[in-house]
Amino acid sequence: MIHQPPVGARDLLPIDVAQKHWIERRLQDVFHRWSYHRIITPTLERMETLTAGGAVQPESVIQVWDAEEGFLGLRPELTASIARAAVNRMAGATYPQRLYYTANIFRRQAGEQARGQHEFYQAGVELLGAGGVSADAEVLLLLADSLSSIGLTHWHLVLGDAGLTRSLLWDFPKPLRRKVREAIARLDRIELETLPLEPSLRERALSLMDLRGTPDDVLHQVSQWALDDTQQAAVKHLKSVVELLEGHPSVTLDLSLIQTFDYYTGLVFEVVSDRESGQRVLGQGGRYDQLLSLYHPQGQMIPGIGFSLNLQDLQQVLLSVGQIPNQTLASDWLVVAESTQAIAVAFRYAQTLRIKGAESAVRVEVALEASSTDSARDYALHRNIPNIAWVNASGSVTIEAIESIL
Amino acid sequence: MLTVALPKGALLKDSIRLFQGAGLDFSAFLDDSNRQLQIPDPTGAAQALLVRAQDVPVYVEYGQAQLGIVGFDVLKEKKSKVAHLHDLGFGFCRMSVAVKASSPYRSATELPPNCRVASKYVHSARDYFESLDLPVEIIPLYGSVELGPITGMSEAIVDLVSTGRTLKENGLTELEVLYESTARLIAHPLSYRLNTDGLRDWIKPLQPAIAPSA
Repeated sequence: MIHQPPVGARDLLPIDVAQKHWIERRLQDVFHRWSYHRIITPTLERMETLTAGGAVQPESVIQVWDAEEGFLGLRPELTASIARAAVNRMAGATYPQRLYYTANIFRRQAGEQARGQHEFYQAGVELLGAGGVSADAEVLLLLADSLSSIGLTHWHLVLGDAGLTRSLLWDFPKPLRRKVREAIARLDRIELETLPLEPSLRERALSLMDLRGTPDDVLHQVSQWALDDTQQAAVKHLKSVVELLEGHPSVTLDLSLIQTFDYYTGLVFEVVSDRESGQRVLGQGGRYDQLLSLYHPQGQMIPGIGFSLNLQDLQQVLLSVGQIPNQTLASDWLVVAESTQAIAVAFRYAQTLRIKGAESAVRVEVALEASSTDSARDYALHRNIPNIAWVNASGSVTIEAIESIL
Repeated sequence: MLTVALPKGALLKDSIRLFQGAGLDFSAFLDDSNRQLQIPDPTGAAQALLVRAQDVPVYVEYGQAQLGIVGFDVLKEKKSKVAHLHDLGFGFCRMSVAVKASSPYRSATELPPNCRVASKYVHSARDYFESLDLPVEIIPLYGSVELGPITGMSEAIVDLVSTGRTLKENGLTELEVLYESTARLIAHPLSYRLNTDGLRDWIKPLQPAIAPSA
């Protein structure tokens, strides 16, 4: 029989891993430069932990049965785990906490996508315990720095404010509010046109669905609306954040960018690749000021904001612009024992090369088959290995440079 | 360049007329000798893809087309994540439950539990019978669904009805209407949000061309 991975799982072969690491290393360097610390949380969590925030539906989680623990879920995202760990395991820690992760996540796909991929990789940050304009701006600027570190120059930021948009929906009668919100979240203009709304409210719903454009235009537009104090404060906050983003090539302020669940409380955003790379969502994030209180033993409110980047989408976009390594690294040295008696010497010599070249991450391999001189040269040529060290039993070493065929 | 996905079949003519109203001419698709599936507008401002109706929301969801025209029946069945912009009014039809005219059933609730229902619209059929709390076995078919009750394979069918002539000529009668359907203008959500290729300006002239469905 042929053993296949389960539907939706995939193997990452050395070249895929090399590309993934290329991205992860650069992102981690940026996260470190911004003083973020890595956190590692378990792959398996209790279902209650994963679904507490309301953004995760149980049916989207791959569940695992444990005789003692009951149903556990493979994490579909990291924020729930980090929130849980932060409030319970890091009690007494001072805020702000700057945390980052790179990890795999699992999502059960339903319906037409049921046979699609279910394991993904993400890198992201969570900034916990800070709620002001500066915290929002830090996360967005860190996002921009992360993307430029991997050489991504053209991307769009779609920015919304879930708190403001939700409060603008309070004008709608309660029985219809949920439907209006779902229609706006799904960009369903037809539903808004057919819901039993008064003409003025219908007008309001339709303009909310299209409340997007350059930040200046949208902020101007929304400040024409009759806003209460909280809403005015939210608009002012948004204005300050946008001002701190000045110089960013492409920001769309989109006040229709909301979810159908109450997870995000303030800023929400998506990173979208440009037209040439197929306009896919590369990352997403937002502010979740209520989430940590759901995990806190005393329900203490601790603000938080973060983003996650979809590594595989980044990898595909970078491949299309040719930024990323397209082959695995060749060895720098091939050490060949000239006789079976020389094998011990060969391994010793290889080790000295490794120690000497440790700084430059030298790659040394020992020829495993005693074979002819010509076949060792062919092998080195074929594998793009630039140097052969011929070692004989007496311990003498001859170095030969191999001319690349490229 | 703007790309629009147009459905083969009943909605094609009206869809092409709609885009003509916006200054885009894809009438080459109506030429019997045309075999091309991707054609540019003569002005070079846009191109159109000719695809099966069921595939229109797929091209639009994945962003290969920024705009598309497709029946509400297909959108409801496929539950695609696309922006629903306008009810275009044309292509009116209804999704109905039908049985053999000679059968004793006069409403869907009278159907016996666990009976068989043949349909191309598996999700619509399942959702409907679930809402009635009537357990049924759905038999997926790809066409000529009327043969289900005729051959005795199923008690009922769920299918699209426009005039009702096909049902009548095959000795079937309509019991219930699940919903009514018309053609819809749909858009790729990210392109819509980001106004890619000036999408908003393209959508605007598509509006006055829309005939009121009343």
